Amino acid sequence: MKRAMNICIAASSGGHLTQLMAIGSVWEGRRHFFITTNPVMARKLAADAQAYVVKNADRRSPLGVFGMLMKCISLFYRERPTVILSSGAAVGCLMSILGKLHGAKVIWIDSIANIDRISLSGRIVRPFADVFLVQWPELSERYEGVTYLGSVI
Amino acid sequence: MIFLTVGSQVPFDRLVRAVDHEENRGRVFAQIGASDFEPQYIEWVKFLEKDQFDATLADAEGLISHAGMGTIIQAVSLAKPLLVLPRLSSFNEVVNDHQVVTARTFEQKGYLLAAYDEQDIPGKIAELERFTCRLPNDGRSRIVDHVSSFLDGLDA
Repeated sequence: MKRAMNICIAASSGGHLTQLMAIGSVWEGRRHFFITTNPVMARKLAADAQAYVVKNADRRSPLGVFGMLMKCISLFYRERPTVILSSGAAVGCLMSILGKLHGAKVIWIDSIANIDRISLSGRIVRPFADVFLVQWPELSERYEGVTYLGSVI
Repeated sequence: MIFLTVGSQVPFDRLVRAVDHEENRGRVFAQIGASDFEPQYIEWVKFLEKDQFDATLADAEGLISHAGMGTIIQAVSLAKPLLVLPRLSSFNEVVNDHQVVTARTFEQKGYLLAAYDEQDIPGKIAELERFTCRLPNDGRSRIVDHVSSFLDGLDA
């Protein structure tokens, strides 16, 4: 029995989230929820759909990332997303991994700020992403399995 | 009017001093941040509310700033001619020299003008007035179509 679509839009607050919001029409009319790292941002998103906050962490804080992972696991089991849509950073990476382990589809749009090289979280997700978009043409030549269609902003 | 902005986080006096000259009087308006240096020739404020900032940016013929990604993306999205002076770690203006790489990369792609030394600023300001920046490749609708088709395929 196929699970009903539920899109998890996961992105660190700031540039990552802004870029996903630019393509917000893709989730309109489909069941979705947000995960981000800034409570003020989450409150704004809550006007549209359920919006969760996880405390931001990155590679400099392994303990912080572990805490984020625990929170992401708990949110994953609560919402059971069938699609993960992310632009990074760590929160998107973790949800993408959790999603793929549970048979979800993963759509990744690497941030426009990454001009010469795909982000660390992007590089982790690329091998198993179902859709992987880059926003600079040079990157689509440098990496396999990525698509360039221009920039979201 | 050319709008000089140092951003909301940290002042950038080296840039402001390089622009604060007689020839720029009435030509440049500066947002200088939490700085103790008060320009003598150009009009200035320390901070602008977001609405005022956006309006000033929209009205400006050109922009002068540091090579911060947020500023660059904003200027390029508006096709606003931008001159950047990268912040340098040797002057304690920034934690590392990533702004130099950013400046060179965007300069090579034709999105902005860059000065790497404050002495080059007057010449670059003159160039800025003739500069037309390359437009960003707005792929938003293509990306929306691509992702939406993929999602439609899952529903089927």
